[in-house]
Amino acid sequence: MDPALTVLAYSTIAAGMGGLGALPLLSPGRSQPRWLGWANALAAGLMLGAGYALMDVGADREPLSGAVGAALGVGFVFLTQLVWEAAEGDRAESSPAYGYQVFLRNTLHSAAEGVAIGVAMALDLSFGIFVALAIGVHNIPEAAVLGAVFTGRGHSRPEAAGIAVVTDLSQVFLSVFVFVVVQAAPSILPFAVGFAVGTLVYLVMADLLPESYRHAGPTTIGLVTVVSLGIIVLLGGLRW
Amino acid sequence: MSASVLVVFLYGLATALATGLGALPFALVRVVSGRIVASSNAIASGLMLGASYGLVAQGTTYGGVQTVIGAMAGVSFILVTQHLLRNADVQFGRARGAGARQMALMVVVMTAHSFAEGVAIGVAFGGGVTLAVLITAAIAVHNIPEGLAISAVLRPRGTSVVGCAWWSVVSSLPQPVMAVPAFLFVEAFSEALPYGIGFAAGAMVFMVLVELLPEAFQRARGRTVALLVSLSMVGMVLFQRYL
Repeated sequence: MDPALTVLAYSTIAAGMGGLGALPLLSPGRSQPRWLGWANALAAGLMLGAGYALMDVGADREPLSGAVGAALGVGFVFLTQLVWEAAEGDRAESSPAYGYQVFLRNTLHSAAEGVAIGVAMALDLSFGIFVALAIGVHNIPEAAVLGAVFTGRGHSRPEAAGIAVVTDLSQVFLSVFVFVVVQAAPSILPFAVGFAVGTLVYLVMADLLPESYRHAGPTTIGLVTVVSLGIIVLLGGLRW
Repeated sequence: MSASVLVVFLYGLATALATGLGALPFALVRVVSGRIVASSNAIASGLMLGASYGLVAQGTTYGGVQTVIGAMAGVSFILVTQHLLRNADVQFGRARGAGARQMALMVVVMTAHSFAEGVAIGVAFGGGVTLAVLITAAIAVHNIPEGLAISAVLRPRGTSVVGCAWWSVVSSLPQPVMAVPAFLFVEAFSEALPYGIGFAAGAMVFMVLVELLPEAFQRARGRTVALLVSLSMVGMVLFQRYL
């Protein structure tokens, strides 16, 4: 099979796994805020784990280029958020545009994860599959949280599930795009590894963790995050 | 060529003293505000996460399962220490109450994590002096940002620069103390090393998640915190790769 097709297949699986996150929406009643916090923390730990694995596998290649790439990645996401906020202002949760803002934020978020999958695949296909699946599992709690936001805004449950999956489509597109570009120009690989790690860490810190602490206490958030991070470290270690 | 016990101890001591240098940048911090506490917490978090990434990468080369078991022990250690401190009337310098508890916890965490680094120095000497000098120099140099992390927590809560340097050095004293037995009993200690490394990393990551970040997010915007955490983490990782 063409390696680009492998990338496409696995990133599609990863994006589709987000749909599973909509399952809790099928149960009646509103979700508990604490569960949203823990779901976010689970996603944060898995993302940090993916960042660790990328750094561990990709770090032998020119750490300086990696750091430059990471700084670019962090700067890119930071500026994107800054520009959005300047253009839109901070929407209150009740405002009609808040939903749109959440949608955009999640699209950017999964785009960054798409870069991570593409880079991991370019480093090594089987390693890439591992990262894609880790991101896929992390999409489940993330979609659950997103779904809860949209049902809370009056969307029907199937609609909310649909929105959650659509935000993950940027992941599929970018993973294939980054993979193909890095294959064509292998010299940018160390920069791309750094870029992916930088954006993953930044997004965990800017979006997932602050959101988690708002919904549940720091001790349980810390535990959920560190356990899911540990699982990725362990699985990554078994494989390589 | 093998090294004497005294040499191993002195190398360990030198790395401990290097930690004190981390307090220097804080000579510039005079005004204490919520924003400075938040930024300092974020920088300390990034440095500690970066250090933990490095430790875990090293630990998993000895054994992934052992490293993760050690990390879970590190997490439990923080939970227990937190619990003990919660019921005690903690005084740290002139500070009392929540701030003092946090400062005490930071010093305890960084001290505990130095045990593993001391073992790493001693085990390295067992592998020959040339390698050991390299590794000791490396540990000494990356002790400096660890001193920076400690000072980032102590300084905005009212500790003097000299006090920050002192506590930074104290937190590294287990290095010479552990280096000697690790050097003398290399084989036993190299088996324990991945557990120790995991413990150090687990304790630091958990400290970041339960103490430093929640406070930072309360006092500053998420994206400011995120920017400082991710950039200082990148800096720490780069620093460790080159030195």
